[in-house]
Amino acid sequence: MMSVAARSGALAPYLHSTKHAVKSLVKPGAKDLAPAAAAGGIRLAHTDIKIPDFTDYRRPEVTDPNKSSQDSSDARRSFSYLFTGATTVVGVYAAKTVVTQFLSSMSATADVLALSQIEIKLSEIPEGKNMTFKWRGKPLFVRHRTEKEIATEEGVNMSELRDPQHDKDRVINPKWMVVLGVCTHLGCVPIANAGDFGGYYCPCHGSHYDASGRIRKGPAPLNLEVPYYVFPDEDTLLVG
Amino acid sequence: MKGIRGISQLSTRLYAAQAARKRRFHVAARTGQSLAQPLAGLKLSPGAAHSLKDIHVTRLPSGLVIASLENYSPASKIGVFVKAGCRYETPDNQGVTHLLRLASNLTTKGASSFKICHGVEAVGGSLSVTSSRENMIYTVDCLRDDVDTVMEYLINVTTAPEFRPWEVSDLTPRVKMDKAQAAQSAQIGVIEGLHEAAYKNALCNSLYCPTHMVGNIQSGHLHQFVQNNFTSARMALVGLGVDHTVLKQVGEQFLNIRSGTGTTGAKAQYRGGEIRLPSLSSLVHSAVVSESAAASTSEALAFSVLQHLLGAGLHVKRGSCASSKLVQGVAKATADPFDVSAFNSSYSDSGLFGIYTISQPAVAGDVIRAALAEVKAVADGGVTAADLTRAKAQLKGQFLMSLETSEGLLEAMGTQALVEGSYCSAEEVSKNIDNVSLTDVANAAKKFVTGKKTMASSGNLIKTPFVDEI
Repeated sequence: MMSVAARSGALAPYLHSTKHAVKSLVKPGAKDLAPAAAAGGIRLAHTDIKIPDFTDYRRPEVTDPNKSSQDSSDARRSFSYLFTGATTVVGVYAAKTVVTQFLSSMSATADVLALSQIEIKLSEIPEGKNMTFKWRGKPLFVRHRTEKEIATEEGVNMSELRDPQHDKDRVINPKWMVVLGVCTHLGCVPIANAGDFGGYYCPCHGSHYDASGRIRKGPAPLNLEVPYYVFPDEDTLLVG
Repeated sequence: MKGIRGISQLSTRLYAAQAARKRRFHVAARTGQSLAQPLAGLKLSPGAAHSLKDIHVTRLPSGLVIASLENYSPASKIGVFVKAGCRYETPDNQGVTHLLRLASNLTTKGASSFKICHGVEAVGGSLSVTSSRENMIYTVDCLRDDVDTVMEYLINVTTAPEFRPWEVSDLTPRVKMDKAQAAQSAQIGVIEGLHEAAYKNALCNSLYCPTHMVGNIQSGHLHQFVQNNFTSARMALVGLGVDHTVLKQVGEQFLNIRSGTGTTGAKAQYRGGEIRLPSLSSLVHSAVVSESAAASTSEALAFSVLQHLLGAGLHVKRGSCASSKLVQGVAKATADPFDVSAFNSSYSDSGLFGIYTISQPAVAGDVIRAALAEVKAVADGGVTAADLTRAKAQLKGQFLMSLETSEGLLEAMGTQALVEGSYCSAEEVSKNIDNVSLTDVANAAKKFVTGKKTMASSGNLIKTPFVDEI
């Protein structure tokens, strides 16, 4: 009863007052007697917003709005992943290259590295002759040995040696013997073609080395050091 | 023994089942019967008489009334109706209902202000408060699946508000904003003034906070008002698109916070007076009313029919209101633009009925007098049966169409549940409208003509008569 009588007529809306605390989905311009914004929150439903046309930026498979995008989703996804994966690999490789280049710039310069090796023309050394070169600040002996010397050295008994090493182990090519010219006793430079064993003799304390650079007599404990060397070709020796 | 008896019972049961099946087969085999019509000759058990689509109303022992309708709608609406309108304000807390209306999103014991707002927004719901002179209505609407979430917030807001002092004082600018917006509407000004002039107490309170109380309503006032008025016996929990058992459970568990009837409101005393609100507006709004009947009486229905007989607003958008008696009468008095409609408002113990005019300042007096003359003509018996039929049809139409929206239906269910504890179906109300006779309407008009008038006018009042001059 009361509902009928109480609220009919044109002035019915003015007989009560409404306040919205939270109002979702209000069309802008909706009829409300006191349309103050709801204190809690108000959400407007705009129906006049136009979404721009993005066809220029779409892939060809998804330009048709009536076709499901799931049909082409596998192809699109695998293309995107492949492209991303390949770019990542290339990027990682490029990054690694850049980093190593920067870091290697801090290592030794080419001129310094060049000093670490020496190339010797073997044709200039006559047989039986010992030549001395400066290598890494140390004297380097290159001896063109005669057949007799080779045979002698190969026939030496191991038990006689203070530092037993067979001649085979000390040379790559028996014709050429390459040792460092630094006495293992206290570091003097031995004299070539001197001493009792046909090799070297250190005048500082009297160490005798043979033609293979092994210590035979004297205070030195070890044989003359054999550096790392290779024969890039018949006529050249590369030490270091 | 038992076993044998059991077997015999089994045989009878089997026989009964077979017989029932045979009957069903027989009935269903009737050709030509549409499956949309109920089967004839089928006796329903008493428990099945209620279909889900009826409005269920239950009154709990605490006095709380639960009403619900399962309309299978995807959106649900729940309302808590409280008899805590502005008529229950006392002279020392005038305006507290206005603040209550604004305080629905403040912190409660179970949820902070932010949580309420965020939680309701998260499910896409709405929370709002409507207050009239008699009732306060807290409404939430949401999707059907989210009812539990928003119900929690609704219960928190209605039963466990905290009214933190700093939050309440933050409401003052919103009160001022509300008042400023209400002041923009001349109708609100006139109607508030009308009630102020017509009554000595209760119904004279305004929906909006009086100027002298803005900023002076504290948290304590709000707490006290809620304590005194938000009691179970004065509340109704109404739902659309919710299960009745669920609502009952919620009512029993949560809305039994305050028992008892709270403070009884005073009976409204009509005094009849005048209020004039001069302004620079180019239109004069004027309302002349007299005391009518309380809402629950049949006299109130007669006044409603009379209202539609005289003219209660446009029925055709931007139309000329040609069928309205008042408009026809006033059109003879002036050629300037005007509007006139019958004003009718019923409350639980009183009511106001009269005319509301909007006119140019120079002809205000003529318009008012012409409108009143029309009502006098009705009182003197100048109403035809065709007019009455039209008025009844218009009233019925307006009422039934108001039930079409979920807001209207919820309000109808809620106000009826709150006042009567039951729901009158639309058919019943239509029947009651049809039963209004010509004499009832004429008596109603006579009551207006002879009653003590109250008048409220606003605008440029140079040519507006006083209440004793009309």
